[in-house]
Amino acid sequence: MKSRRRALTGFAVAFLILLAVPHLAERMDWPGFYLTFMFTAFFWITQSSSWNMLTGYSGYFSFGQGAWFGVGVYTTAVLAGKQGWSFLAALPLAGFTALIVGLLLGLVVFRLRSLGGEIFALTTLAVAFVLAAIARIFAAIDGGRGAFMTSVPLPEFLGEFRPAMYRMTLVIMMLTLVTAYLIYESRLGWGLFAIRDDEQVARGLGVPTFRYKMAALGANAFFGGLMGGVWALQIGFVTVEDVFSIRVPLFVILMSVLGGTRHWMGPVVGSLIIFTIVDRFNSAGFENFNQVFIGSLLILLVLAVREGIYLRIRERWVATASLFGLIIAASVIFNSSSMVWKFLWALLGILLMALIPDRAWQKLALRRRPTPSESREDRETVDA
Amino acid sequence: MNADLLTQAAVSGALIGGLYALMSLGLSLSWGALENINLAHFMFILFGAYVTYQLTSSAGIDPLLAALIVVPLGFAAGGLLQIFFEWAKVDEFKSLIISFGLFIILQSLARTIWSADFRSLDQSINPYVGSSFTVGSVSLQIPLVIAFVAAALIAFGTQAVMGRTFFGKAVRAVVHDPDTAQAFGVDHRRVGVLLAAIASAYSALAGVLIATFQSLSPTMAVGWFGIVFPVVILGGLGNAVGNFLAGIIIGVAAGVAAVIWGPLSASLVTFSIMVLALLFRPEGLFTRKAAI
Repeated sequence: MKSRRRALTGFAVAFLILLAVPHLAERMDWPGFYLTFMFTAFFWITQSSSWNMLTGYSGYFSFGQGAWFGVGVYTTAVLAGKQGWSFLAALPLAGFTALIVGLLLGLVVFRLRSLGGEIFALTTLAVAFVLAAIARIFAAIDGGRGAFMTSVPLPEFLGEFRPAMYRMTLVIMMLTLVTAYLIYESRLGWGLFAIRDDEQVARGLGVPTFRYKMAALGANAFFGGLMGGVWALQIGFVTVEDVFSIRVPLFVILMSVLGGTRHWMGPVVGSLIIFTIVDRFNSAGFENFNQVFIGSLLILLVLAVREGIYLRIRERWVATASLFGLIIAASVIFNSSSMVWKFLWALLGILLMALIPDRAWQKLALRRRPTPSESREDRETVDA
Repeated sequence: MNADLLTQAAVSGALIGGLYALMSLGLSLSWGALENINLAHFMFILFGAYVTYQLTSSAGIDPLLAALIVVPLGFAAGGLLQIFFEWAKVDEFKSLIISFGLFIILQSLARTIWSADFRSLDQSINPYVGSSFTVGSVSLQIPLVIAFVAAALIAFGTQAVMGRTFFGKAVRAVVHDPDTAQAFGVDHRRVGVLLAAIASAYSALAGVLIATFQSLSPTMAVGWFGIVFPVVILGGLGNAVGNFLAGIIIGVAAGVAAVIWGPLSASLVTFSIMVLALLFRPEGLFTRKAAI
């Protein structure tokens, strides 16, 4: 209870600090793309954290993030873009439509105990494909002509376009993270992790597996869709090819696997690193190279870093924090490129440090060698 | 609704269903027998098609003769990938993620080499495209007939090999109980590599056949998801003949749906069939006992 109150206070403080950034940006006259960079990072953090509520916690591997995202995008694109609803009225519906689609899918695939996780994964892969076909067929949704979001008016209290996007994505990200944290700490979270470890044992111990899996899938779809609803504004001209592409599921998988799916913070760390790298690649003109890089990194991570780098960073937090500070300080002194590049160098430093295997790290850090009994325990857990 | 049109759609659908079956067979075999969900099969098909296109358009080889080069390449690629999977001790989920990574890399590679534009064989060097013969009021396209016959031969041939030969028994033994199979002198690694290589050769051959009558683009591989997964699920994992029949069912359903509700509805129909199959026959329509 005490730790939960402290964590929630932490969320509130982080929210207030981040909320102040647009004012600061105006005062200090930051380049406009800083805000864009930040709210795109919020977008990815939300997508990967919501994906992790299902896949990380319950172990059911999902390719469906693109579907939830796409349903959200098209909900606001149709309601606000075509029907002329006010944007803030349409936005919650983006989350709820995705929630309904997600629960319908869950009703089909979670009903059957004989269905393994791999069938679930493939079904989610096909869902985005089918939703794309539906959007193309019905002219009320898209009909192959796309949908414009560029003339949708935003409420005045949100400010100009960039600060408004920043504030909306920030609120949704915070809601997602608090939910991810609360699930992680709750009975639901324990049940989901039990399902991940061994579903039959979990059911035998009285975990209501169907309800819990539906809850996780629902939360995933809801937040993915809600953020999709806002993102329709950033896309501007919404097309089926763009929205239901393989991009969103690919990135959230990569981000979460990099950060680690066993902890709610894993996807946050992974998203920051991957998004920053990809963003800088793009701005340096390597768009075509991106896919190759992403694919290779995914393969490498699956083979090499099983638990994700967040847990390692947390174990090595002193070194991480000092390295981050050091690189930022060094790049401030030695070069004058934009803040985002400095951020990239610092993140790459952390990434490299986190990739050092535990054994090599212990030698580097001059820790005491584990006693023979400890190392035997070590090996046994690895073997198991 | 014109009855002739429907008959035509059903017949063409059945023929192209044979091709769907061949496209799915590699994935089905490696999933059912090796427990790898190998999305790289989509890339074996895509590269099979593109390499055929390249060989035919730059060296003037008949597209079907190109199979003599393309299929061994597919065989080698699949075997190497399986050796890598064995070496890295990849389980079902890791194989899915790793092959997804490969899918992304190879798709982007195809885009770099052959660009994102549609590529198709010129009529002058491709004797198959556009040629057809008619039976009654139904016209049969030659490339589809070739694909159908090849798929049927492969499906029944694979089934016979699995049922009758030592290799087939070895595969079934490994699937059933690797340790006992090992004790009886079956090296599961070698069996696995050979099976994976054969499965990839099938996918490469499907690519050759696609190149004889379709325009190619790197993104078409994603579109195959909506066809291949329903066929694999409906046919039953690792069941070659079941897979062939499932291909025909999906082909006919997609073809007829396209005539009645328009081409966009085809993937909706095939997906609905897959969901129904998952609900009522998750082990596949044609599986009596355990697959393979």
